[in-house]
Amino acid sequence: MFVTVNGQKTSLPELSTLAGLLRQVAPAFPFAVARNEEVVPRESYEQCRLQPGDAIEIVHPAAGG
Amino acid sequence: MGEKPLTLYGQALASRMLLGTARYDSPSVLVDAIAAADPAMLTVSVRRQAGVAGRTFWNLLRESGRTILPNTAGCLSAQEAVKTACLARELFDTKRIKLEVIGDEVNLQPDPFGLVDAAIELVRLGFQVFPYCTEDWVVCRRLLDAGCEVLMPWAAPIGTGQGPRNPRALRELRDHLPTVPMIVDAGIGLPSHACQVMEWGFDGVLLNTAVSRALDPVKMASAFADAIRSGRAGFKAGPMISQDIATSSTPEIGRPFTLDSTAPAEAPMLTSP
Repeated sequence: MFVTVNGQKTSLPELSTLAGLLRQVAPAFPFAVARNEEVVPRESYEQCRLQPGDAIEIVHPAAGG
Repeated sequence: MGEKPLTLYGQALASRMLLGTARYDSPSVLVDAIAAADPAMLTVSVRRQAGVAGRTFWNLLRESGRTILPNTAGCLSAQEAVKTACLARELFDTKRIKLEVIGDEVNLQPDPFGLVDAAIELVRLGFQVFPYCTEDWVVCRRLLDAGCEVLMPWAAPIGTGQGPRNPRALRELRDHLPTVPMIVDAGIGLPSHACQVMEWGFDGVLLNTAVSRALDPVKMASAFADAIRSGRAGFKAGPMISQDIATSSTPEIGRPFTLDSTAPAEAPMLTSP
């Protein structure tokens, strides 16, 4: 199945969880994740089952004013 | 005895400067600027990119020991700002959010309607909202009605360094709301601008570009820290009221080479023996 990760189409095995996706993407620590515009708390990554077409945002601390 | 510290959402701040972390030439310059400025808070953002610089930046924030104030910079709607704030809360583990809802991509002017809508929703979600706003009195009142406990009116558009563009309206806002904490955010270019708004009674200043794009950001950070302290001290000292007519500060009485008509009777007279 396909999901989008930060706007990029990404291939994943069926029945993937968000935790599985994060193992595949291996984002630098620290990060926060939203699935379909809703924040997923870090303690829920294992339970969060992804669906085809889900839009995942992974964000990091950045400089800002 | 010293003044009571500025308190925002129950947190007493050790300084009246808030410093942005963007547009420094290197992480080490930012570290030195933080040390020189001694700001109460550092503003940061959330972005997709991280990489090696991201890790360094994170460590730098942690080691600074400063309170982190994430922003919703660049958001163009209330909905986008609320979603970004929720990500920032998860990422930085804080309820504080510097709320930016931009209404015009050219001058980065806040969208007053989206700002109020987002503030209402974020307060409902338990955030401590620091709204970047214009000096419009009615918008500020709506933000307070929404539950904001601090206002952050601009001096001028972000990154322009123009200093207070509408001094009269800024001062009227201060007079209307004498007890609401107000931080002047954006558009400050010089230490004298910061000193000026502090003399008017604003509670603090949020800076970024004026420090980070100075030729010597560390020296400029220190100059701003002095200016902010000085402006605050001037405000607390109670400035004189400006006058339309000149008044000599030196007494006229006894001025040499004048007719003696103003000399006081008890003044010693020079007489011939």
